Amino acid sequence: MTLLAHAIAASPPAALSLAGLRGRPLAWSETGGIGLWSTEWEPDVKLERPDALEHHRLVERICAAEPCLPVRFGTAFATADAARASLDKRAAALRAALARVAGKSELALTLLWRERSTPQAVESAAGPGRQYLEARRAEFDAREARRARAESVVEDVIAELAIERQLVWHETCTSDNVAVSLAVLVPTELAGQLKADLAQAAARFPDVIPVLNGPWPPYTFARTE
Amino acid sequence: MKELTAEDASLLELVDRLLNKGVVLAGEATISVAGIDLIYLGLNVVLAAVETIDKAQDRRAS
Repeated sequence: MTLLAHAIAASPPAALSLAGLRGRPLAWSETGGIGLWSTEWEPDVKLERPDALEHHRLVERICAAEPCLPVRFGTAFATADAARASLDKRAAALRAALARVAGKSELALTLLWRERSTPQAVESAAGPGRQYLEARRAEFDAREARRARAESVVEDVIAELAIERQLVWHETCTSDNVAVSLAVLVPTELAGQLKADLAQAAARFPDVIPVLNGPWPPYTFARTE
Repeated sequence: MKELTAEDASLLELVDRLLNKGVVLAGEATISVAGIDLIYLGLNVVLAAVETIDKAQDRRAS
């Protein structure tokens, strides 16, 4: 028997009438004022794609009942003592992170490029070596231009939102399709309004397609290192 | 390059958070996750989560 971790919360735990993954028992392991919600799991049972989404739904329900820190999916402990020892090592940082995310949720904005990147055509009269180098250079230039554009767009979005920088996280050009991946930590009670504001701020750019998600548990802002 | 729909992007953002964000507990053991990499391979995009899976597999193999 192992414990498959879901979320960390302050003790005493909220009274949850929840089952764990695949209907297995949900366990609470507590130490030093904090505790871990986890599913009692058999180590030889492989996690599947639906388990990841069920973990998300479980974390959502835990975070709706009490401030919580989502734990990275797939983290398991051999025993409750091992889970408690792990919490003990970082107790102060975990308590501080819990205070930071209390009453807050995460909104996610993804900006997808509307068009494919098109590097400048290479002069056809050039020899094959030069053509190759010029094609590489054109690809590099196109990539850098996209990165600069993505940075400019995300700066405009953040400025429009007028939100503290430490409550915003973003990456640009994480794949060929994605211009910006952005997360914002917002008060849960204002999440609906702020999501609408975010949609409006992101809709001004003709070259990207905004995709909004959330409110979600504060995954991006739960890290303690 | 495979076009990414809004639905694909939402799923990727969520799975990226499940696998790459959240608290990393010291002394953790990451148990095997079947099928998660297929989400990424199916969408033909490269995100950090794939690297996470690769690293976890390398750790188990070594």
